[in-house]
Amino acid sequence: MHRKLSLSVTLLFITILTTLQFGCSGSDPGEADMNAPLSFDINSPKIKERLGNDDGYAMAIIYGADIHGSLETCG
Amino acid sequence: MGGLARRVSYIKAFQHRSNMEVPTLFVDAGNLFTDDRFAGDHLPAEVMTKNQWVVKGYSDFHQDVANISFNDLPYIAELFKKDGYEKRLQEYPFIDRLISANLEPADDTRRAPQPYLIREVTLSRTAPGKKLRIAFVGLTEGKPTSPNQHESLYAGFRINDVFETAKRVIPEAKKKADMVVVLAYMSQDMAQRLASENPDIDTLIVARQMSLMNDPEHFGRATITYAFNQTKYLGELRYYLRSDSTIENQINRYVALDADLPDDPQASEIVTAAHNDFTNVQKASMDANPAPAAQPASQDSPFVGASTCMNCHATQYAVWEKSGHAHAMATLERKSQQFDNECVRCHVVGFNKGGFQSLISTPQLANVQCEACHGPGREHVAAPAKGFGFMATPTGCVQCHTLTNSPDFNFATYWPKIKH
Repeated sequence: MHRKLSLSVTLLFITILTTLQFGCSGSDPGEADMNAPLSFDINSPKIKERLGNDDGYAMAIIYGADIHGSLETCG
Repeated sequence: MGGLARRVSYIKAFQHRSNMEVPTLFVDAGNLFTDDRFAGDHLPAEVMTKNQWVVKGYSDFHQDVANISFNDLPYIAELFKKDGYEKRLQEYPFIDRLISANLEPADDTRRAPQPYLIREVTLSRTAPGKKLRIAFVGLTEGKPTSPNQHESLYAGFRINDVFETAKRVIPEAKKKADMVVVLAYMSQDMAQRLASENPDIDTLIVARQMSLMNDPEHFGRATITYAFNQTKYLGELRYYLRSDSTIENQINRYVALDADLPDDPQASEIVTAAHNDFTNVQKASMDANPAPAAQPASQDSPFVGASTCMNCHATQYAVWEKSGHAHAMATLERKSQQFDNECVRCHVVGFNKGGFQSLISTPQLANVQCEACHGPGREHVAAPAKGFGFMATPTGCVQCHTLTNSPDFNFATYWPKIKH
């Protein structure tokens, strides 16, 4: 009985962990977690200037193009 | 400016700033892959390597949708081969997010890309809990063969007419979504016509190696914005919605991806690994196909090199020797980019014009030497005469010192450094 309970708890834990990891975020296994804590301060003046004001937008699309095979730029 | 590591930093910061509560989608309007030196049926190993790392980078750092442009087709032809597709998809889920409505494979060995993708987001600010479906449609112009002509068959894909396709596909996508966003790889004129002819388009994100940071254009209900070349500036479209979730306004911002934005450590690892892999493959390729030994006085090249110019122009040579131009290749070597032709072209003499080929075969033409600005000098050496080598400034300078490559360039402050 004790063993069955222990096994059930373990399975439940694994299920919760898997759901948290892959189910809710909508991301794929192996993807970097974009919600992970940042390595820099978003309240620093330079970063705040880049981010602009949060003026109540409901949704955003961030876009780019023309990287032409390069994950970095020259020089 | 630019690069995956800074882009990821910004996107993370953007999401954190709103405590992850504002739905944010990440898209690419096309030209992700290089088709450099596509030889009719295959891409060289080093080019394949670069492209593979883009797929990995875009799989590891979530990208919602990407449009396939004509430039992408030689590599797409590899990715979309039916043989092994499922395995590739499992490894790199991003492949399934590459879309195009007007491309179709010319034979049955390849899959057709999806014409559009619908992304559903949950709103939290204007109508908390409400779902919004956004249809992304991909379109590309044909491969240009002259200013007014486009190839309709390239790298195993047929490129169908943009305008006919749009009239068929966009209403279909609109029926399934609340909002239609078209990712378009085409000229500004074509994009404006597309917006005018298709009233169901809400947003048109356009790319074609443009360096525009204009305010968005409006055609009917459509807002047109332009992606900045090489994503050195990231585009950010903010949507303001009414209580019924229809669009009240769209505001566009361009975000400079400069040194003020720290590199994301995880993305930096990918960039470094990609870089090292590409450099190794490039070196191996050069070792396997050794070019002729360097010939400083090769009569085949119209370029002679600065050491020849020095014989008559010693004073000017002395100024140049102390300038940044004389050490331009070192800038690339510090970042191990000396084999990357995308970068090399502006750091040497006569690239793709009979001059510099590589550091192994033509090292004497590395760096920005006299002839990079004044033109090939072989005929001048044979028959010296006044009037040779006039260069209009700053017109000539901005061939390389573009807004994207050299954002701080200012002729008034740069010229004194090389005045001769």
